[in-house]
Amino acid sequence: MGGYGDIQMIDENGLRMDGRTATQVRPITIETGVIPVADGSCRMTWGTNDVVVAIYGPMEAHPRKIQRQDRAVLDVRYNMAPFSTSDRIRPGFNRRSREISKVTADALESVVLLELYPRSKIRVEIEVLCAEAGTRCVGLTAASVALADAGIPMTDLVVSVASGKVNDVVVCDLNKEEDNYGEADLPMGVLPNSGELVFLQMDGDLSPEEFQTAWDYNVQAASEIHKIMVEALRKGGVN
Amino acid sequence: MSIPMVSKLLRAHLSELATNDQRIDGRGRWDGRDISLEIDVLDRAEGSAKVTMGDTIVYAGVKFQLMTPYPDRPNEGGLMCGAEVRPVAGRNWEAGPPSAESIELGRVVDRGIRESGCIDVNSLCIIPGEKAWQVILDLFAISDDGNLFDAFGLAAIAALKTAIVPCEKFEVGEDYPLNVSKTPIMCSYHKVGNRFVYDANAQEELGGDERIHITLGDDNHVHSLQKGLKGIFSADEFAEIMERAKIKSSELRKLVDSVLGD
Repeated sequence: MGGYGDIQMIDENGLRMDGRTATQVRPITIETGVIPVADGSCRMTWGTNDVVVAIYGPMEAHPRKIQRQDRAVLDVRYNMAPFSTSDRIRPGFNRRSREISKVTADALESVVLLELYPRSKIRVEIEVLCAEAGTRCVGLTAASVALADAGIPMTDLVVSVASGKVNDVVVCDLNKEEDNYGEADLPMGVLPNSGELVFLQMDGDLSPEEFQTAWDYNVQAASEIHKIMVEALRKGGVN
Repeated sequence: MSIPMVSKLLRAHLSELATNDQRIDGRGRWDGRDISLEIDVLDRAEGSAKVTMGDTIVYAGVKFQLMTPYPDRPNEGGLMCGAEVRPVAGRNWEAGPPSAESIELGRVVDRGIRESGCIDVNSLCIIPGEKAWQVILDLFAISDDGNLFDAFGLAAIAALKTAIVPCEKFEVGEDYPLNVSKTPIMCSYHKVGNRFVYDANAQEELGGDERIHITLGDDNHVHSLQKGLKGIFSADEFAEIMERAKIKSSELRKLVDSVLGD
């Protein structure tokens, strides 16, 4: 959130630097079954973001102290590969990836039917191979597709998308420049069938009206993205 | 990495197959799995490659950093090579600090590339004693079905050969392709059922014994060797796989050349 208004990111026709309209989402592709040794997997490209997710389990939860008598635990790890950004990232956990892992787990735990697998563990491994902006949204969305690919029962998929504000205009799905120099960012995780939310973060500065617009953009984009997710799962043989 | 239980049945099965000169997935003793090499697959890396060998899938990405040359080598830049096998790559790989296995992987690949002299470290110097390039090669596995060593080795050399030195980003002149003058290739042999085979899959690794990694340069010069895991081998056995490595590495070198188009 630079908040510097001197960079012109919306032209006189209301188009953005990459030619998109305010509500247009970057191109998305989803492919399931990309990691042969995993129980379920998914690769999602979203703009130039490239994220793979592997699911392992349900499996025995160990050490035993992490076991829950009445449900499975979700072990979610979000990580950025060292070559995924402009400046190399030193390998290893950091505060940012730890927080994103946690909020992603919190979101997925709200939809996975964990009580069907007492004392077990389901591992969700999110790896960002190439980052543009909005990797936490890509990770969460792709993780829900990978869980479905693994045949793990869920009440719904999770579609995550962010809207924000650049040059005082609310736009959906920020790209790298918009994320760096924009004035606000509102990522959400929407359940497409009920419209309910399982993930919400925000930083920056939005008026009540702008906030409502950003919210509405996210809900609208989520329903478009949901169609791509369902199509990818059908193509991969999951109904 | 957590070492899974090795079933006696698996070891017995592999031995029996070996006595009939067969392998668990039907391959011949010196046959590799289907292999594919893609380059320029990662947008944020200055050079990149993806290798698929059967169900083993790995990436290599090259990044550059400016460094101050070491006082005893003021005219040299640096090369750093590290392998990360995160839990995404298989159920036995665990989170946490790098395991001994992944450190070994990175170091063996590093030696093959470094000792072949394919990268002229003097050419990485910008201002002697003050500024030089550090080439950072990160190896990253997303699916481990055995023989990560060869997959990493192949991805590594291909990624280096596609790398562009990002001078403009660091404001030290114009971008230029990294000069990689040779093509070191690693070939790995695992003792399975009491005889060596090429390109073991995960089951063969699990139910096998020692492994030997050989990195050969363009003129069949040897640049790195590594014996890993418990096991005893004879000079004759080694001589046999060395001859096989010469044949296989020249095949793989042709693959690299054809993908890179030179």
